[in-house]
Amino acid sequence: MNPQELIARARAQQRTALDERAGKSLLTEYGVAVPRSVTVKNAGEVDAAFAKLNPPLVVKIMSPDILHKSDAGGVKIGLKSAAGVKDAINAMAASPKIKGARIDGYLIEEMAPAGQEIVIGGLRDPQFGPLVMVGLGGIFVEVLADVSFRICPITRLDAEEMLAELKGAAILAGARGRKPASRAAIVDALLKIGGDNGLLMQHAEDISEADINPLMVSESGAVAVDARFILR
Amino acid sequence: MNKNNKLQEFTPLFEPKTVAVIGASAKGGALPNHFIRRIREFGYSGDIYPIHPSAADIDGLPAYKTLADTPLPVDYAYIAVAGAQIPDMLTAAKGHVRFAQVISSGFGEVDEGKELQDQLVAAARAGGMRLIGPNCLGIFTPRGGVTFAEVGPQETGGVGVVSQSGGLGTDIVRRGLGRGVKFSGLITVGNCADVTPTELLEYYFADAQTKVIGMYIETAKDGRRMFEMLRAQKAAKPVVILKGGRTQQGLLAAASHTGSLAGDDRVWMALSKQTGCVMVDTLDQFIDTLLLFQSLTPKTAQPTQRVTLFGNGGGASVLATDYFAKLDLDVTPFDATTIAALAELKLPPGTSITNPVDCPVGTLQQDDGRVAEKILDIIYASGKPDALVMHLNMSAFVGRSKPEVLDNLVAAALRVQEKYPGQAHFVLVLRSDGEPALEQRKREFRARAVALGVPVYDEMSNAGHALAALKLHERFVWTRSTESL
Repeated sequence: MNPQELIARARAQQRTALDERAGKSLLTEYGVAVPRSVTVKNAGEVDAAFAKLNPPLVVKIMSPDILHKSDAGGVKIGLKSAAGVKDAINAMAASPKIKGARIDGYLIEEMAPAGQEIVIGGLRDPQFGPLVMVGLGGIFVEVLADVSFRICPITRLDAEEMLAELKGAAILAGARGRKPASRAAIVDALLKIGGDNGLLMQHAEDISEADINPLMVSESGAVAVDARFILR
Repeated sequence: MNKNNKLQEFTPLFEPKTVAVIGASAKGGALPNHFIRRIREFGYSGDIYPIHPSAADIDGLPAYKTLADTPLPVDYAYIAVAGAQIPDMLTAAKGHVRFAQVISSGFGEVDEGKELQDQLVAAARAGGMRLIGPNCLGIFTPRGGVTFAEVGPQETGGVGVVSQSGGLGTDIVRRGLGRGVKFSGLITVGNCADVTPTELLEYYFADAQTKVIGMYIETAKDGRRMFEMLRAQKAAKPVVILKGGRTQQGLLAAASHTGSLAGDDRVWMALSKQTGCVMVDTLDQFIDTLLLFQSLTPKTAQPTQRVTLFGNGGGASVLATDYFAKLDLDVTPFDATTIAALAELKLPPGTSITNPVDCPVGTLQQDDGRVAEKILDIIYASGKPDALVMHLNMSAFVGRSKPEVLDNLVAAALRVQEKYPGQAHFVLVLRSDGEPALEQRKREFRARAVALGVPVYDEMSNAGHALAALKLHERFVWTRSTESL
């Protein structure tokens, strides 16, 4: 499905946001890597899906009624066997916070290799149009608000300056014995999202807010582990 | 192409050959009557046409019934009457008016006036004119001989300003003039119902007279266009922005992390980073920065970094060194050659010659103040800083030195900086305690200095902020000049 179709389908279904799978398809269209995944309707479809993927895996609930999947008990990580995946799906379906919700299915994904968590965001400003944001994940964004914004489209130099501007920028070089994270991979992802022909410019009329959180960045590359696109 | 269009389009606004005035009373005393008097005193030499439904003449000038009735077409109409009457007056102009500035309020700035503002815009279109305002105070354009502010005749300068606030526009004109700022124009735009700040910025970019552009803005309705225009300009002229209503608060109803983190403040910081505009926080900083860009030519091949401080007041030097460091300006010691050259002067004990160059009054009054010339010569020729801040605590000379010592110090400063053109940016800080006689002398010194292109500041911190703005502009041009968009 091309990006326009993804958005059109969500609108036809009266959704205010793209579901995770559609969001990741959108990212793929713009060249941002996402984990390999298979979607299943129920535990009965797990065996066929499991054969196509390399464990460890993660299972995520897909429901238009559940915005915060982790809080609702809709995410289970580190699954190494088909049985483990089935158990996780059955447990989710039975959990009190999920029981009453409309369930589109379950996303079974390969787990991204460990790395530095980065957040890339998007926002449509009423006066200036699309903005792009970057920050380090976790407490850096949520507690310290250590983020940097630019008006789209950004240039490579803009993207580099955005990273340099973060108070926690030194962490990318590998502080306190951690492995460094590839700045080039982050800059590359920022340009794909916020650059001249990037996702936010191309869909400025459709997307009001976006969170790619986290973008898992290793020494060599970056993978978007979760993505939300809120429609206008 | 587009550049010339804006220049052509807006020249009649900044240099009107004919001015119409609506709202002047036959008995006098109304704001538009003051406007007529002000522009006459300011030296306006074109025709003035009062518009009045019944009066035959106003303030000694023949009056006309409508904007369509004037002998020559109207370049600029100044309109200050009750808002509800204005749309019909504009429609009646029938292509006879180029620009109408509506001073009156009660339009889009209040809920009940939004509809009237829409009518006003429609009427301006129907009448074939561009509309400035409403809810503003007017235009100040020395080359056009028009002023809304009560000031005497002024020469045209290089500072072009757009202000969304009328009152602040008056402050900028009057305080700016007091500080030696010379304007290429200042226009108040109020609600910006038709002509936008972006269009006026484009005019100033295209206008050869304008060297630096200032803008006070609260809401940028056409923010996207402003961003695109400024980005394309690549800081071809310095732009200084004083933004009112910068809030940290994110979107109230944000559905994402990103939305909750985005405040107005972040957007304007982004604009500054991407276009090289300088954001300032206060009216004083705004004027300080405009004055600096009026006086000094940015050195984009070698952005300002190393600063030398020279003057009297040890504590003041130390504090300034710390403050400049916070602004990312380096006040670092000279190399051995420069220190040796300064040591040759055999200045009295208590003098520090490493940078900051700290000279007590006893040192500075040597040779009745002419010693400063020798020190400055060495700093320029050997120290080669990017910027040189000379500061004089005038209070410290009171009761100790002959009055001409200060004169000689200032004269030495102005002479030496002329001797090394295009080298260090030279800035003068004249500190005093507010004592009237000292303030009077400071005013005289300031006038002399500013006339020679030396900006003068009251305190070191003001000079520091202005230099930091210069550095930001120079750096932007330096790093971005080769970037393709």
